[in-house]
Amino acid sequence: MGNEAIARGAIEAGVQVCAAYPGNPSSEIIGSLSQVARELGIYVEWSVNEKVALEVATAASFAGLRGLTAMKQNGLNVASDFLFNLNLSGSKGGLVVVVCDDPSALSSTNEEDSRLFAKMCDLPLLEPSTVQEAQKMTRWAFDLSEELGLPCLIRSVTRLSHARGNAELGPITKNQQNPRFDTSRPIIPQPVMETHKALHNKMKTCQDRFEQSPFNVYRGPEKPELLVVTCGPGWMYVREALLNLGAENRTGILKLATTWPLPASFLMEHLKKADRILFVEEVDPFLENNVKELCAQRAGELGVKTFLGKASSHLPNVGEINPDIVTRAIQQILDEPYEPRSLQYAREAAEAVSLLAPSRELGFCAGCPHRATYWSVKNALAMDGRDGIVLGDIGCYTLGVRPAGFSQVKTCHAMGSGVGLANGFGHLERFGLNQPVLTVCGDSTFYHAAIPALVNARYNQSNFLMLILDNSATAMTGFQPHAGTGRTAMGADASVVDIEALCKALGARVQVKNPFDVQDTTETIYKLLQDREGIKVLILKQECALVRVKRQKALYKVRVDQERCVGQECGCNRRCTRIFKCPGLAWDPVTGKAQIDEAICTGCGTCADICPQSAILKETV
Amino acid sequence: MENKGLQALESCVIQKDLCTFCGACLSLCPYLHSWKGKWLKLDDCDLAEGRCFAYCPRTRVNLETLHQEVFGQSYSNIEMGLFKQVKMVRASSPTLRQKAQTAGVVSALMKFALKEGFINGAVLTQRTPDHLPIGRVIRRPNEILSCAGSSYVAGPTLQALNQGPWKDSERIGVVGTPCQVLAMRKMSLSPLKRTTPIDRVTLIIGLFCTWALTYEPFMKFLKNRVKGARIRKLDITPPPERLLKVITENDRIWDVPLDEIRPFIRTTCGVCHDMTSELSDLSVGTVEGIQGWSTVIIRTDLGEKILSQAEAARIVKSQPLPEEKFKHLSEASLLKKQRALLRLKERGELENGYLTLSRELIGRILSEANEAGS
Repeated sequence: MGNEAIARGAIEAGVQVCAAYPGNPSSEIIGSLSQVARELGIYVEWSVNEKVALEVATAASFAGLRGLTAMKQNGLNVASDFLFNLNLSGSKGGLVVVVCDDPSALSSTNEEDSRLFAKMCDLPLLEPSTVQEAQKMTRWAFDLSEELGLPCLIRSVTRLSHARGNAELGPITKNQQNPRFDTSRPIIPQPVMETHKALHNKMKTCQDRFEQSPFNVYRGPEKPELLVVTCGPGWMYVREALLNLGAENRTGILKLATTWPLPASFLMEHLKKADRILFVEEVDPFLENNVKELCAQRAGELGVKTFLGKASSHLPNVGEINPDIVTRAIQQILDEPYEPRSLQYAREAAEAVSLLAPSRELGFCAGCPHRATYWSVKNALAMDGRDGIVLGDIGCYTLGVRPAGFSQVKTCHAMGSGVGLANGFGHLERFGLNQPVLTVCGDSTFYHAAIPALVNARYNQSNFLMLILDNSATAMTGFQPHAGTGRTAMGADASVVDIEALCKALGARVQVKNPFDVQDTTETIYKLLQDREGIKVLILKQECALVRVKRQKALYKVRVDQERCVGQECGCNRRCTRIFKCPGLAWDPVTGKAQIDEAICTGCGTCADICPQSAILKETV
Repeated sequence: MENKGLQALESCVIQKDLCTFCGACLSLCPYLHSWKGKWLKLDDCDLAEGRCFAYCPRTRVNLETLHQEVFGQSYSNIEMGLFKQVKMVRASSPTLRQKAQTAGVVSALMKFALKEGFINGAVLTQRTPDHLPIGRVIRRPNEILSCAGSSYVAGPTLQALNQGPWKDSERIGVVGTPCQVLAMRKMSLSPLKRTTPIDRVTLIIGLFCTWALTYEPFMKFLKNRVKGARIRKLDITPPPERLLKVITENDRIWDVPLDEIRPFIRTTCGVCHDMTSELSDLSVGTVEGIQGWSTVIIRTDLGEKILSQAEAARIVKSQPLPEEKFKHLSEASLLKKQRALLRLKERGELENGYLTLSRELIGRILSEANEAGS
């Protein structure tokens, strides 16, 4: 896997300190490193957030060791405040920041091209195209960082991080570097004008190195009709597209791996080859605009070129690209006839797919406490009747915006933004807002970004109800341990940071309830919504169903009394399978009754409490 | 196919602000609830047909069919429905007369019906200490008085009927407002499969009603009006005074002119055609101008039998209703019908609204009411 290759590259480079906050598609980098940390004598941690993770890895660099941090695109936003000072102060030991973008937002709330950060803060940027390159370029990034005295950014994307491929491994370096911080030479961004100038000089050196980089290659005829400039997985897509079209002899591919600063001379040499230049990259026209800028600067030498890509609408400027998209673009430009498959076949294939894989709404797992929580939120808000606003946050419970969470959640932005927005909404009553304010936040998100917002709420006397959905897991990214789980990334015991005590210390009124008791939870939420003063925190504590089933037996054996179940009739109309929709409940269209899918049911027993006919029976195991 | 389930109930009744909050649709399905005087929908239901829609007194009402089914007669008496006799009645017990609101007649009759085994359980309306009306099942005669009085607020009494729980052989008596009585008759006649105890409802005492209030805004207003004092009792005095007397702790009485509480009258009361619970066995209400007596309209054989037995047992006393009071009652009832029809017309619901009346009947009501009014 691409992420494992990045981890391997770091190990081969002798990395000693690795820190990250989990976030798809980056999580497996630190996940893999944590598994071999003890054996290799390296330190790996799951940090509370990406900024802290970058700071932890940077501390190693300041002490002369090699450090690595990895994050998803949003993570770089969190870490950027530190990064925009670190570029000026510079680093010492090799420091690599891997950022894995998620084009098409397959597991994100946003789409973002984090490469722009490299240009903004003047840092070297590498973009591997293959699994092998991911490993080799990571290893090289440490050397480069050390030579330049700057952190080096590596940008991956989902289709590289999560792709599998071959890689020839290099030897493992066991670094026995002794850390030492030279207190006679403070590492600070000041004097800024000096350090900023020094940074630009470092980037000139970097550019020289990039001119020579073996990762930048040209493949194709000496005088192609079309030159495709690409980077990252675009390289693979372009090769496949040319193969599809049989256009290898007419088209050249210039693959860049070092995309900031641009290797200008290398580029100039190849840009001369063709009059038409197509840029293939995901998501923003980063390479496209930077190369155009270079061409404008050097127009005298280059002459008039036709630039094709996102600006010319040959390629999309949102979402992932793939071989089909690239093939269509090149086909259009070269005017090559191409039919990927017959329309008849396409129609039949689509029909077959719809039969074999029916479209399903995104949902919570069987026995997920979030479903029970949103059930109670829905009913409590209906009882309250003031059209309460639920402000969401980042985690599995983001699905609260969809029918899985009864469409209760109305906003969802960055980590901790639910409680941040709640701070603001909590002050709008003075202007006539009469909707109660409720925010949901997971345990991992709470540690990550919710605490400052709670401090603010206390200080500025805001008024809202915060539900902390404590499922004792960073579930969405793969169950990484966090400050509340009592375990570290390296498997050691850890102190638990007590959310309840912390909230109490912040001056919130705190209650702890079991979300599976839907009646009690509903009433508690309702009562707390009536309380118009200050910050109320309700911790809904119930372990993630996927963690629980691995550790212990089901709480209940659940079955449906077929006599009592009235199914679709007036008086029920499939409340359990139509509204509550736990995957552990199945609808049998033949008998017209509900059933328990024993293979899936985790035995939480919540459905027994929502059946209007008391037909779902739970027996203690 | 036209929806006749919750979707239709929402579009035809709830969204048009026509819910009477009678409780007929509650405790039948998991999606509908009552909470602090409000009707709540927790989830959507897509059934093509549902009891919520079928039983609602503000979905299609065909008075002709209903009268044929209940009385075996055509809907002809447009003033106050079919009846056998109208009397002036009061409870013999001074305690009942003092504590209850209709000269103690309803309490006395229900108590008698329970004691004598006409019914085994009574569905009545009780008020919480916050004056929120709730349905209550009473099985012991001496508990009847706990439901005496009124807060003039609509409450989901029929929810208690639907909820029970009832034993198989129990016969049930219900005291309700005109919309609740209408809903019960719709329940009885509905062809939908029923799991309600409606077939065991043997006695229906209907109350006279001109309007009911919406709980939350009314109570909010009242609390402000009495400066937060704890409210013990509410009483509306008859004309010409027409005041809401609010009795708070330490027996302080606050006089609130009725015009101040009119904004809290439910919209649906404006389209209600029925002042005297025309589909009941016995209808009971005040006699304007005569304190301490109630008007009782005897409509069915059962009603007649219970009243005469109660009188024979000296539980209640009766005397003929003076002619001018009868005339006054007829006029008031007809005027309510006229107002309802005019309001329906205003709302564009005279043809396709809840009430199905022949053009001839509509014409008669409007013209006769005009004569009565003039």
